[in-house]
Amino acid sequence: MLKMTHLQKVYRTHLIETHALRDFSIHVREGEFVAVTGPSGSGKTTFLNIAGLLEEFTGGSYQLDGVDVQGLGDDARSRLRNAKIGFIFQSFNLIPDLNLFDNVDVPLRYRGFPAADRKRRIEEALGRVGLASRMKHYPSELSGGQQQRVAIARALAGSPRLLLADEPTGNLDSLMARGVMELLEEINRQGTTIVMVTHDPELAARAQRNVHVIDGQVTDFDEEPTLKRGAETGDSGLAREGVTA
Amino acid sequence: MEIRPILSALMRSKVSMVLIGLQVALTLAIVCNALFIIGQRLDNMNRPSGMNEADTFWLGSSGFGQGFDAKAVQQADLALLRQLPGVASATTTNSVPLSGGGWSTGINLQPQQNTSTADTTIYLVDSHALDTFGFKLVGGRNFKPEEVTRTTFGDQLKPASIIVSKALADALFPDGDALGKQVYMDQDPPTSTIVGIIERAQQPWVSSDSIENATLVPTYMPYGNYSRYLVRAEPGRRDEVMKLAEQKLSEANPSRIVGRLRSMEQVREEAYAGDRAMAIILGAVIVALLAVTALGIVGMASFWVAQRTRQIGTRRALGATRFDILRYFQTENFIITTLGLVAGGILAYALSLWLMQTYQAPRLPWYYVPVGFLSLWLLGQLAVLGPALRASRVPPAVATRSV
Repeated sequence: MLKMTHLQKVYRTHLIETHALRDFSIHVREGEFVAVTGPSGSGKTTFLNIAGLLEEFTGGSYQLDGVDVQGLGDDARSRLRNAKIGFIFQSFNLIPDLNLFDNVDVPLRYRGFPAADRKRRIEEALGRVGLASRMKHYPSELSGGQQQRVAIARALAGSPRLLLADEPTGNLDSLMARGVMELLEEINRQGTTIVMVTHDPELAARAQRNVHVIDGQVTDFDEEPTLKRGAETGDSGLAREGVTA
Repeated sequence: MEIRPILSALMRSKVSMVLIGLQVALTLAIVCNALFIIGQRLDNMNRPSGMNEADTFWLGSSGFGQGFDAKAVQQADLALLRQLPGVASATTTNSVPLSGGGWSTGINLQPQQNTSTADTTIYLVDSHALDTFGFKLVGGRNFKPEEVTRTTFGDQLKPASIIVSKALADALFPDGDALGKQVYMDQDPPTSTIVGIIERAQQPWVSSDSIENATLVPTYMPYGNYSRYLVRAEPGRRDEVMKLAEQKLSEANPSRIVGRLRSMEQVREEAYAGDRAMAIILGAVIVALLAVTALGIVGMASFWVAQRTRQIGTRRALGATRFDILRYFQTENFIITTLGLVAGGILAYALSLWLMQTYQAPRLPWYYVPVGFLSLWLLGQLAVLGPALRASRVPPAVATRSV
């Protein structure tokens, strides 16, 4: 699903070069739930940005669902991002002036789905996160946990192959965080690949596999995915496959 | 198109939308009416007087002292003027088109009519008038020298023959058979016969409703000791002849003052000075309004782009292309402008109605508002283009940056 090989990301100014990622390799298979951990400034967000086609990389290669993304133009990256990836942000990033229905509709409009299809997908996605009855509400009328659920609905509505979550519980209290985490686990059980960047070791422990990043390099990773969740749910063997990081 | 979500988002920040919409509405209403007024003024200024304005000038002679024989001096002056080098033609006249001062009367088709059939200005001239003014004869004939009477100021005008402008001829005889017809001036007999029709001769008053109704009456009639002459110089020699005419008339008779020289170009400039000033002021108002509106749109759009940087980044992260972002801001501006224009269209016609009722102004032609719509749509789209392009360059990675 996601394969980065010897990836480099260098930020250059006229004075200094900062190596955000160096010789960074990771392979996430379809259906996995991978947690990427590491201290602040380690390169987690840079990895997430590159994985999500939000930033370009300086060297190495990156294949997303079999597509070599190197050299893709801005529009092609946008379309690929829209079709393949769902984003969950730490600050939810909902659009405050749009109600829940319209918020979830944003990526679907860019995808060009017909109105009836969009409506069905929005209702389905909001129903999946338990907010079907609040479609006409605005984000400010919801709790943080509910807002993150809307963001998850927005990410799911386009049926992405990959869900990228950036500290999805970072702005939530422990009760809400648990609810969001359970939702992500359920989504993963239903087959969506999830890569989650987090500081929280407890959350990371709930993922099938952990990748630890320090100074822009992968320093530690589980050789095998945790089998527990796949076994618990009777999920396909995808989650049990070996991992190359 | 994202019209519905954009509109519903705008409805949540109504103040900015209302302010810009109001600005657009006022701009449309004022610009449409101001442009119409400017157009009217320019049309007025471009109306032909019917004269040869490039080569003509007029001057006055004001006698003083006992024994000043105004009639004799008038004849002597005309003879002198006609033999000056560079003079093509000269006539006496009481007034000229565009000068702002002259005589007017009613013309009747029946004696003792209560209401005149038409109003006209009267130019008291001699048989050189057509040649001097440059009026174009389109029917009948010029005055014969023997038809030019000698009258004293205060006498009732009883011209046997008159020449009228085509506009007046048509007003009197709509069937087009004015030539040879008899009319009554000053309500009383005897009648005057229309012996000639000239293509066009404007009245002295530029704001007259019947500006092209003019009558030439063949008579020498000094205004007390004052006479006025119109002179046509040979092409290109007007300024030179003006100085010479003033000098020679002064030398010819020291018992009078020669002055009030004005070329017809000066007369026209003075006649329309107010209209010109009005057009310039309204033009400046239009430019200022359009500039303020455009700057308002630029300012608002720039503010919104800065305020929504993270939101734009999120949209990009969710799959929006740069063009999608550009289109979003263009569409948003289109919606605000359209709402303003709808209100402005109503306001424009309301303002026109008020001008009609208050100042008897003509009705604003219908097409001004649709043309204004297109222009302000274009202005809005151009004004928002800069901020929208800036927005489209917001990188998607902004979405993951810490607040």
